[in-house]
Amino acid sequence: MSERDLQSILQKLKSTTTYPESTTLLSKAKITLLHLKALTPQPTTPQTLLLLAREVFESGALLSIRYKDTAAFTRYVHQLTPFYELPSSILPGAKSERTKVTGLYLLLLLTQGNYAGFHTELEGLEIREGSDGVRVEDDRYLGYPIRLERWLMEGSYDLVWKAMASREVPSEEYAVFSEILTITIRNEIASCSETAYPSLPISSTKNLLFLDSEGAVVSFAQSRGWLIRDGRIYFPNQSLKAGADLDGNQKELSQLAIENTLGYARELETIV
Amino acid sequence: MPSKTPHTNGNEPVENGINGTKDVEMKDDAPNPLKGGKGKKLKEGEEEMTVVVPPSKGSKLSAPPQKDTDGDVAMDGEAAGEDDGAVKVDPVTQAISGTWNCCSSAVCSILSANIRSLLADIKSNFPLLERAVTLFDARFTLRALRSISSIRKRLTPDILAQVITDTYPSNSPAARSLLVALDRENATFAKPSSTEMEIDSESKATKNGKKEQKEIIPEVDIFLGILTQIYYLDNKITQKGVVFSAHLAERIHSLNRRTLDSLSARVYFYYSMFAEQMHPLPPSPASPVVSLRPALLSALRTAVLRKDVDTQSTVIVLLLRNYLSTSHITQADLLVTHTKFPDNASNNQVARYLYYLGRIRAIQLRYTEAQQQLTAATRKAPSSPSAAGFSQSATKLKLVVELLMGDIPERATFRVASMERALEPYLQLVQAVRVGLLGEFESTIKQHSETFRRDGTYTLILRLRQNVIKTGIRMMSLSYSRISLRDICIRLKLESEESAEYIVAKAIRDGVIEASLDRERGFMKSKEVGDVYATREPGEAFHERIRACLGLHDESVKAMRFPMNQHRLELKNAQEAREREREMAKEIQDGDLDEDDLGGEYEGM
Repeated sequence: MSERDLQSILQKLKSTTTYPESTTLLSKAKITLLHLKALTPQPTTPQTLLLLAREVFESGALLSIRYKDTAAFTRYVHQLTPFYELPSSILPGAKSERTKVTGLYLLLLLTQGNYAGFHTELEGLEIREGSDGVRVEDDRYLGYPIRLERWLMEGSYDLVWKAMASREVPSEEYAVFSEILTITIRNEIASCSETAYPSLPISSTKNLLFLDSEGAVVSFAQSRGWLIRDGRIYFPNQSLKAGADLDGNQKELSQLAIENTLGYARELETIV
Repeated sequence: MPSKTPHTNGNEPVENGINGTKDVEMKDDAPNPLKGGKGKKLKEGEEEMTVVVPPSKGSKLSAPPQKDTDGDVAMDGEAAGEDDGAVKVDPVTQAISGTWNCCSSAVCSILSANIRSLLADIKSNFPLLERAVTLFDARFTLRALRSISSIRKRLTPDILAQVITDTYPSNSPAARSLLVALDRENATFAKPSSTEMEIDSESKATKNGKKEQKEIIPEVDIFLGILTQIYYLDNKITQKGVVFSAHLAERIHSLNRRTLDSLSARVYFYYSMFAEQMHPLPPSPASPVVSLRPALLSALRTAVLRKDVDTQSTVIVLLLRNYLSTSHITQADLLVTHTKFPDNASNNQVARYLYYLGRIRAIQLRYTEAQQQLTAATRKAPSSPSAAGFSQSATKLKLVVELLMGDIPERATFRVASMERALEPYLQLVQAVRVGLLGEFESTIKQHSETFRRDGTYTLILRLRQNVIKTGIRMMSLSYSRISLRDICIRLKLESEESAEYIVAKAIRDGVIEASLDRERGFMKSKEVGDVYATREPGEAFHERIRACLGLHDESVKAMRFPMNQHRLELKNAQEAREREREMAKEIQDGDLDEDDLGGEYEGM
């Protein structure tokens, strides 16, 4: 169990192609790191070992994302964080996959809908990177998720779609998320259309939802419970919702007013 | 007393020269301490007599202390008024000093009087600290701490050293370590004999001096330690300051005295200030603030276990500041969820805590909470000019959060004299958002990006882009009953008509506008705007306001302070009143037979 073992494991890792094989190799590497007391960086850990440890975790992270194991990926990211926080005098940033891994992590948070986590991570990046004079948005790997988030929040779904489709993706790992994101934005668009349009022709819905054929549109419409009549889609929820709103509102409103007034009376009594 | 002053003047020509430069600053507060200092010298002896003696009898509830607390209560009202922490003068001493005023000003030259008054000022805090220990009342300690801000400007190592040599016997280890820290170990330890002589020659001060020499309470040690920290901080001797503060913190930890609580809070505060100023500066993860965290966390643990509210609140705030300075937001959030900020923490700490909490929440997109916390923080911020920086940055953050929530801040916020200039870039930002002009918004960001980055609001402001778009759409939906998507696209300078369609659809879904889209003909049709007063909106706004008023009332009731033992007085009064009533009843009984029943009733009560 020494550094040399670790290097040979890493060599092997590069040549393996199947996921189970790689994971066994990775766990072996992690055990070696544990024996060398380098699973988390200590002040006494030598630089060569730090570099090796970082490489192990980085390859683990990229592997797990390639095989869509998001839980494992998150774990690797957390393990990498202390390494990335080391000053460059102890651990040089060159040859690191740092921005790639961080960008992937941001994208993961985005697809999970964890906007709070996304912005928390971004804020940290902004402050730490900003001091070097390099803008975070200008980075190839980091800029991508940031742009996607901005478009998603604005509602420019077509731009998101284009960014995913037109091979603008910075690296192959990023493509993994495209599928998840597509489903996310399709659902978003569907819920928007339900309220925004009185009715839609099937032919143009195909473009709207980025679906391939009209058959797909029909099945998608059925899955969301939309009505299809004379080649147009109608949204039954819309009228239903409006009616329920009016009725429920009235009741709720009076109840709220009564509750509030009672509350004021009680408070007044304690004051006077 | 005045006749003695020339003697001491002669002893301190060196300090005169040093302090001469600072003469101008002192003009405003010079007369006050002068009087107070003079008067206090006299008063000290008396206070010692009345206050220190009772505990030796063994009972704290005897008459003299009670009288004393009454006096303090009256003063506390005064103290709350002066936020800037000007030197406070006992009402009693002020009365005494009035008589000395004319004589002393005639005798002393102003410069030496300043040094003397500063010495007296510093020393006048010692009896306060002692009283805090004997009466176990933290308010006296706080009062001593409050005087620091006035002492601070005039602090020099020589004066501090003189105070130390005056108060400690020359063989005290605490004094030696303090003097070493001040680099004055040789210069002043030559003096002790002379200072002692001086004390001997002053009949009234002797008792005082001897008493103190018998036993110097650790509170005085720490107080002088804090003054030393301040001296380091003001003169930017950070390296030494960190080492010294670490020692001081360790010492406090080993002492474990409840009366040290508010002092230790101060010590930790300056400790972390030193760490922040050391290179590399905070945003870098290698900054010394990171290595300070274990110390602060253990201090927090100890403070919680000892129910030390002052240190607890201060250290929580320091930790939050520490985490946020290196943008470890997750850790800061975890700290907030795992600790409970003490309810009865001092107002300033609460304000700081709320500010940091608001910042965390804003980053996490929890704008409503952030807005509430930041509003509370700006309201709780001290109004004195020295705290203008805090209210400015809290207001800046609040403005951005309000914008993010879709509100437009009031114009009056930007007109406050102390904020007008600092908020200038934000005013332009608000104007751009309000009108919904994307181009103007982007140019504002570009123009002021440095300022925004410095204020730490840049990332938040970048999120505003969608709000600008939404506002733009809302403006258009209000002005046109029907508008083509193409026009929207041109007005908002969007990339394509398709984008415009999706954006408008999202705006409709999010309830920003009341409209519908027509895909085939490519336009947006606005719905008729209903009567706002028929909805629940006015009721909600009304409710919100009433709740704020009620909350204010509750808080002010909680903030009221009741003097200790006051109820005894009331009881006494009540008893007297009852007696008087009884007498009256008796009189009625004796004088008027008709009132018999009434009298009986009174007796029965």
